[in-house]
Amino acid sequence: MKKFSKLLNRRVAAAALACMMAVAATGCGSSTVSSSGGSAAPVSGGTITYGRPASTTSFDIYTQITTNNAFAVDKIFETLVTFDKNGKITDWLAKSHSVSSDGLTYTFVLRDGLKFSDGKAVTAKDAAFSIEHHLSVGGPLAIDADVESVTAQNDSTLVIKLKKAYTPFISELANFSNGIVPDNFNGKSEADFFKNPVGTGPFVVEKWSADGDLTFKKNTNYWQKGKPYIDKLVYKVISDDTQSINQLKAGQVDAIERVSCENAKDLSQGGSTKLLENTSWETEQVFFNTLDKHFSDVHVRRALALAIDRAGLTKAVTFGYGKTANSLLPTTITYNTDSTVKALNYNVAEAKNELAKSAYPKGFATKLLISSDNNARMQEAQIIQAAGKAIGIQIDIDSVEIASFRERFFKYDYSMMINSGQADYPDANSIIAFQVDPSGFSKCYWTHYSNSEMPSLLAQSQSAPDGDQRAKVYAQIQQILADEVPYIPLYYTKVLVGASSRLNGLTVLPNGSVRFENAYISK
Amino acid sequence: MKMLISANDKSSSAAAAGGYNPGGLRALGIIKTVLRALLKAAVVIVCVVVVVFFIIRLVPGDPVKMILGEHSTPEAALKLRHQLGLDLPVWQQFVRFLHNLFVNGDTGNSIVYGVSTKSLIAQRVPVSLMLILMAIVISIIVSMLLAVAAATHKDGVQDHLIRVLPTITLGMPVFWVGLLLILLFGVQLHLFPVGGVSAGAGGMLYSLTLPAITVALSQIPSLVRSLRAQILDVLESDFVVTLKAAGIPKNVILFKHVLRNSSIPTLMLLGVNVSYLIGGTLVVEQVFDIRGVGSLLFSSISSRDFPVIQGIALYCAVAVVIISFITEIAAYCLDPRLKGEK
Repeated sequence: MKKFSKLLNRRVAAAALACMMAVAATGCGSSTVSSSGGSAAPVSGGTITYGRPASTTSFDIYTQITTNNAFAVDKIFETLVTFDKNGKITDWLAKSHSVSSDGLTYTFVLRDGLKFSDGKAVTAKDAAFSIEHHLSVGGPLAIDADVESVTAQNDSTLVIKLKKAYTPFISELANFSNGIVPDNFNGKSEADFFKNPVGTGPFVVEKWSADGDLTFKKNTNYWQKGKPYIDKLVYKVISDDTQSINQLKAGQVDAIERVSCENAKDLSQGGSTKLLENTSWETEQVFFNTLDKHFSDVHVRRALALAIDRAGLTKAVTFGYGKTANSLLPTTITYNTDSTVKALNYNVAEAKNELAKSAYPKGFATKLLISSDNNARMQEAQIIQAAGKAIGIQIDIDSVEIASFRERFFKYDYSMMINSGQADYPDANSIIAFQVDPSGFSKCYWTHYSNSEMPSLLAQSQSAPDGDQRAKVYAQIQQILADEVPYIPLYYTKVLVGASSRLNGLTVLPNGSVRFENAYISK
Repeated sequence: MKMLISANDKSSSAAAAGGYNPGGLRALGIIKTVLRALLKAAVVIVCVVVVVFFIIRLVPGDPVKMILGEHSTPEAALKLRHQLGLDLPVWQQFVRFLHNLFVNGDTGNSIVYGVSTKSLIAQRVPVSLMLILMAIVISIIVSMLLAVAAATHKDGVQDHLIRVLPTITLGMPVFWVGLLLILLFGVQLHLFPVGGVSAGAGGMLYSLTLPAITVALSQIPSLVRSLRAQILDVLESDFVVTLKAAGIPKNVILFKHVLRNSSIPTLMLLGVNVSYLIGGTLVVEQVFDIRGVGSLLFSSISSRDFPVIQGIALYCAVAVVIISFITEIAAYCLDPRLKGEK
């Protein structure tokens, strides 16, 4: 019987080993908008199943930020103003809004007959509570404007006063975190309320599990009469990219949220599938840690920028679905200077000259940090590696899994990295403030870059009213960044959504979310 | 026959040493051995749980930053970290963890999903177990048929084909085999769902067919080879010659005597493989979008969901111990020699 326990031990040890290995593995490890509007009349009823890479884990608009939750709560809660498919701010729950000439007083008038999904009327009191509660919570999408007061003037008028003018405020209000909830959460605690959320959006939660699928049913009290057309919307979790493409092709889902560039063409050419696209608010970039001895030298950064063929890289990596970037701001964001900024374009001879001016004229060896969960980044890294080699900079690629990647750059434990900067709301400030403010917590997106002019330019960009003056400041900021290269903008990404060719009326938004209230499945 | 003789020797010597009550002693011996095995298994489980607890905290990566993303402020991160108890010293977290484990039998609430790890795993276990079970059944049936066919036609065309063909799938990575099956039977022929698991018992069996075949294809080649070699061995042994001489029908000899005697080493091999399968279903679950324990482990590791990773490690360790027991008992029942052994 000794054999018995011996065998058993061996197997238990094998299992222990398997567990260890699993754990150890962690350490290594637009303007062209197509919303597919059919010419036929919309069909009412039916269910749309939407494949998404991760489950919705919470509906709390004040504590959540990641897309798995953001693109679910924006179906339940709506904001006073919103942005359209071109990123333009439009009135939504407010039928109109006005800003005083000093930029300090914002007045919103609510639409008539607005109701929550439980049938209760929406008043300015609910709106005031929502904004005030968000101000008190802060959270990951905190309001940056310096708010003095939020007042419900009467049932339909909300007045917000600022202590100092802050032009991006109206865009901030379009964040889902400023969604309108019932006053005092209908008497419930915040945690209880968000377990059974009540909002004004087109859909209501019917069935949900935090690690699984989410079923919405239509909100019969929705303010847009007759909408949504569909009865149900199912968010089905499909974590694997290939699997989601195959399920779409086989008709198991009607649309999928994420399509990688290499699969995009396949979907657009398929008879039973189509590709919906929109330019995003995201800029793919190379970031330099300016605390690094090599990259603290502006000539080194400029040399590398000159050595990279951005147009070639964009074409190779995005299969034509990205647009080569010249400026930090994507073309979907107002005040971008993509067509006018003087960027350092591909020129190897100049790159060599630039490196000769640096403290490392003979080149050096460095490391490029990337996250292993993104195939495109590996290709980008290899192209950049070759570009560096051409001017004498030896670049080793340091590919680690996403959690380690974040940990590394948050600690400035990197020399250069590839990452993307994304706007949370459609104002230039969303990206600019995060990437140029040396006093902000992100220290210019963990580059530790600083320029003495920036704080004053940033302040001007935030307080100047929309118009030429603001445009001039942003042009100046973008030119300084292009000259000093704390980051090299590579390309602007696209939002790519796959859909069945029978699915109509989807609106793909530049933040990656999709509007379903006009969607229907044709017969 | 050598083993048989030595086994008999042992049992007779044990009986001689034990004096007048060999049966009772034997039972006592079994109980002792089982207790010893249980104790050792418990030690291993404790080690797995403790080591996993500390290793996942040593690995770089912050669950809070995975939840809040890159844009969130340090204040928001601090608040959430405090809420989750991740700001406590590691030893205090460990004490909390142990307390929770002994009082509630749970490894704590999931950081990402906010619900108890126990309930998360409980939801995922049935589908994973079903997948493993179906894969085992398919592996056993197919391997037996192929091995018998090969052994009875030794060095014939059948034998060569059966030995060569399955190795083709052995040479291909599991995810690749899975993708090929999906493309052919799911996307092209629409015979099986491309992925996911349908509702109901029937739907589950139906959706798990392709994944189970994928897993089975990775097991069958080694099982067929082992079983074929064993059958050939037994076919040539003295007792089969005796049976043949006694005029017992060929099929009776083959299925009653030969297969039974030759299946034990293969069963052991399968037992070891199943232990690896528990960890290895991860890939198949990922390819077929099956929301089982493997895919939960995968997502929990990338989001650094500590309590869930710990829970799954515990579940794996326990499951492997249980399967080892089952394999041993099955071998014990099949092999009369083991009954006499101490």
